Amino acid sequence: MTGRGKLIAVIGDEDTCTGFLLGGIGELNKNRKPNFLVVEKDTSITEIEETFKSFLARTDIGIILINQFIAEMIRHAIDAHMQSIPAVLEIPSKEHPYDASKDSILRRAKGMFSAEDFR
Amino acid sequence: MGLDPASLRLDQQLLDFMDQLEMLEEKRQKLNTLIEEGWFNISKARYSMGNKQVSALQYASEMEPLVHVYASQSEKGEAEFKCERINGKAEELKESDTVETIGPAEGGLRRRVNVKKKENKDEKDTSKDQSEKEPQFNSKGEKSPCQHQDPLNWFGILVPQNLKQAQAAFKEVIALAAEISTLQSAIVKTRLEMQTQMKDKQKIVSELKE
Repeated sequence: MTGRGKLIAVIGDEDTCTGFLLGGIGELNKNRKPNFLVVEKDTSITEIEETFKSFLARTDIGIILINQFIAEMIRHAIDAHMQSIPAVLEIPSKEHPYDASKDSILRRAKGMFSAEDFR
Repeated sequence: MGLDPASLRLDQQLLDFMDQLEMLEEKRQKLNTLIEEGWFNISKARYSMGNKQVSALQYASEMEPLVHVYASQSEKGEAEFKCERINGKAEELKESDTVETIGPAEGGLRRRVNVKKKENKDEKDTSKDQSEKEPQFNSKGEKSPCQHQDPLNWFGILVPQNLKQAQAAFKEVIALAAEISTLQSAIVKTRLEMQTQMKDKQKIVSELKE
């Protein structure tokens, strides 16, 4: 518990980001880079992916919260992330309820009980 | 002969794994309901304040995080996340202190009628002292408001109760998110351990067959 703690980053729709920023996770660092991305209709997938990768590369971020429907857009990038820090947490969004079968962590866990494992 | 202990270990790990998944499911459900509650309150606040009053446009240009996560990794590779919130109340008290100290420093007792020269001199001396002290007060006072400002103030001074309720819900969500992240990391770790155990067991089985 020594030193400065890490941040929580959010990639989500406007209401999700507003809620979490109300909770007090928002930060604008010295380079004016925020730890959140408000995804709107015109936000491109490449922009989301780049932001996600930049969050992964930042050492001051401990947890990345991402709306599940946005996570679906960049599933390959999320599946490729194997480290435990930063942790990636998929959360529901207003229009898309949480589906456990889409969650990367639970899919990995489910994959363990394939027919091959029981041979 | 060597199969039994390996199988027992595997069974135990499987039970632990199931417990962890059950806990994750519970916490996930709680997180989802809290987030929904938060959105509902944001929508209510938007309804009472106006459509564009609760949006990304109101975010402050300067932001300081009020929550930090302490991440530690065990030797096994399991990550543990602990959420720590900067005490808002302490900050508010400091700010209110500065507001209170400004009053008496600027105002105080004023003498309006027939003041003697000697007293004037004394007053000048004291005013000099005060003027020397004042900038120190200001320099202290300037720092506190911009740092750790309550995000509720971005949306106005008198915000509806719903927005405060939304904030409370999301605060809980943040604490829960740290717990879920810890649990997820533990699940991934158990899964890896079980896979290696399974391979070991298969080796033993194949050896026994031979």
